[in-house]
Amino acid sequence: MSAPAAPEGLAARAHPFTPLVVSLAVVALAFLLPAPAGPLLLAALLIIIAILGGDPRALIPAAWLAVPFWVLLFILHALLGDGPMRTLGPLTLSVHGSALALTQSGRFTAIIVASVLVIRGFRPGRFVDAALEAGWPWTSAYITAATLNAIPRFQERAVRVQEAMRSRGLRVRGTLITRAKAFVPLALPLMLGALHEVDERTFALATRQVRAEGVSRTPLRPPADTALDLTVRWGAVLAVLGAIAWRFVA
Amino acid sequence: MSAIEFSRVSFRYPTSGPVLRDVTFEAPAGRVTWIFGPAGAGASTLLLAAAGLAPGLTGGSLEGSVRILGQDPGSRSGRGAVQGKVAYVTATPYLQLSGMAESVFDEVAFAPANIGWDRARIEAAVPEALARLGIGHLADRIPEELSGGEQQRVVLAAMFVLRPDVWLLDEPTSALDGTGRELVRAFVRAEAERGCVVLFATEDAELGLALADEMVLLDEGSTVARGIPADLLGTELMWAMRAGSTGVGELARAANRLAGERAAHLAPPYPLTVEAAVERWR
Amino acid sequence: MELPPPFMNPRLLALIPTCVALNVVLGRIVSELALPVFLDTVGTVTATALAGPAAGIITGLTSQGLTALTSGQMMWLAFAPIQVLIALVASSAARRGGFATAASALLWGALCGLLGGLVSSVISYSFFGGVTSTGVTALNALLRYLDFGLATAVTISSVAADVLDKALTFAFAGAVLRALPTRLASRFPLAMRSAGRE
Repeated sequence: MSAPAAPEGLAARAHPFTPLVVSLAVVALAFLLPAPAGPLLLAALLIIIAILGGDPRALIPAAWLAVPFWVLLFILHALLGDGPMRTLGPLTLSVHGSALALTQSGRFTAIIVASVLVIRGFRPGRFVDAALEAGWPWTSAYITAATLNAIPRFQERAVRVQEAMRSRGLRVRGTLITRAKAFVPLALPLMLGALHEVDERTFALATRQVRAEGVSRTPLRPPADTALDLTVRWGAVLAVLGAIAWRFVA
Repeated sequence: MSAIEFSRVSFRYPTSGPVLRDVTFEAPAGRVTWIFGPAGAGASTLLLAAAGLAPGLTGGSLEGSVRILGQDPGSRSGRGAVQGKVAYVTATPYLQLSGMAESVFDEVAFAPANIGWDRARIEAAVPEALARLGIGHLADRIPEELSGGEQQRVVLAAMFVLRPDVWLLDEPTSALDGTGRELVRAFVRAEAERGCVVLFATEDAELGLALADEMVLLDEGSTVARGIPADLLGTELMWAMRAGSTGVGELARAANRLAGERAAHLAPPYPLTVEAAVERWR
Repeated sequence: MELPPPFMNPRLLALIPTCVALNVVLGRIVSELALPVFLDTVGTVTATALAGPAAGIITGLTSQGLTALTSGQMMWLAFAPIQVLIALVASSAARRGGFATAASALLWGALCGLLGGLVSSVISYSFFGGVTSTGVTALNALLRYLDFGLATAVTISSVAADVLDKALTFAFAGAVLRALPTRLASRFPLAMRSAGRE
């Protein structure tokens, strides 16, 4: 069947469930693995996967997202932390706080890299087809895909509303009061317009059989679920279970 | 059996007075029926009732009987029986898109997939529907990025793919340019010739005149008159009902009034097209 | 006898993605205006006030999940319970006509913020060492600098931020509900009652 162009990277080529399961496993492992080495090694592993897996450019937005957290964690825990302190050059740092900052930084970095890799390879249509093939309720898959579709449209409309309001003298820069006053004239038309549209969309969805009784929807292009995909997903689950077991034993 | 039957139908929304009052008419298969009236006459509500969307999704209360292809579209069993056979098209194309299709192909495949057609059947039917509306070249495009006219054709293809027996259209051309309007007119005419029943509402009297076999004049929810558009549109009744007429009809009426309503050749019924006016006033 | 219709009807399928998108986009507008609030749950509150807590919960959880996924910060999934809490408080408010006036909406919102702030401070402290969004974390840092313990700092900053944010969220949602034309509002099961228009 006719289809949009294929995206790049490991996450994009895999079955849609695989990157999602792996990223959820990463979130769990980030908190389960012994700190601070565990999260830091996990982060390093994911960075290597990004480079070797064909999407090294994902590390740029990941860095943009992660660095502010490193800075905040450093300030909050290392600089302003309690307990025994150690001098490092011009800075006096909390020993315990520094370890905590390193741990949390490692966790956040691992999660951020995983998340960025997933979202760059995510295609709603492919996800919906995979969900349908797996027997998920159609409505959950529809809501996910329809929302991802709706967000850019609403974003554009917000920009248009803003331009229209500014041409009528609305100021969006200046003091806090000025900026705060700009919110309602921007947001209210957007919301009322959106709710009006819900009506017509409702009728359209109803007449396009979106809740057809007694049948399940046919997936149009179900992605292949290979042995490698299954292995990776089960591997991720086992890694999490292993980490939980280790926590109990150690 | 008429394909659409309204029998003494009255309807009100939850917080309004009566929007339809004792409406009775039939719309037969193979013909195009036009619901015409001033703003607020109830044409859109009538179409919603025919589609089974009012009161089901709008709330409100309906008295009397609505039947479409012999079924009650307001009941769950009736809706199930006409599943896939009733197409409902409104004025705003982008609001009729599914919201989750990444290509025009997938958009047209949306309804067939929803009712469980197998992939082979979808793969055959969708290109046919695209070709019928002349949009085969748009198959890989993202629906939200198309022009209004192209989107309306996608919506029509998305309905046509199921080969509906009934077309309900509410201002289907108001967002379109001249070319788009002509395309919709030709398509709807062809569907009637295929044996469908077509019921549409529009304030565009030119479109109504060009397309409809029969018109039903509505005013404040009541049926006021029925007849052939060419016969009714030129009568004073249209202005008494504040419904209006074609541009040429308006002009002819204005000319008659300017002449003090004394000239026989300017008297109603007014000509409705340029050709008719030239013929009359030659 | 006719069976009741399935829960997820076309109206909810049209409403929920719209409200999720509104959550995201309004949050971005606020961010571009550099205001010290989030206002990224207006869609959740509105969905609840229009169609009940289930609609609000689905809207909230979908928003949380998609935002976590698309922002590259999946750790924020841990705050998903807050979305459920918001929908439940909004539902209580809606059933009692809590959006009928700006004052009552503000009060309900403040209550929501108090409860939400307490829960999110626990999540933030337990999982994230007191780090959440930049602004709230900066407030934490300031309180720590003033010698407040970490737990106290996190609680104060989370509650303060959330009370302000949710009060304004509920107030704005109330304004929208009261501004809806009657015919449109009456299509949603709970809208009229929420706005005290019944």
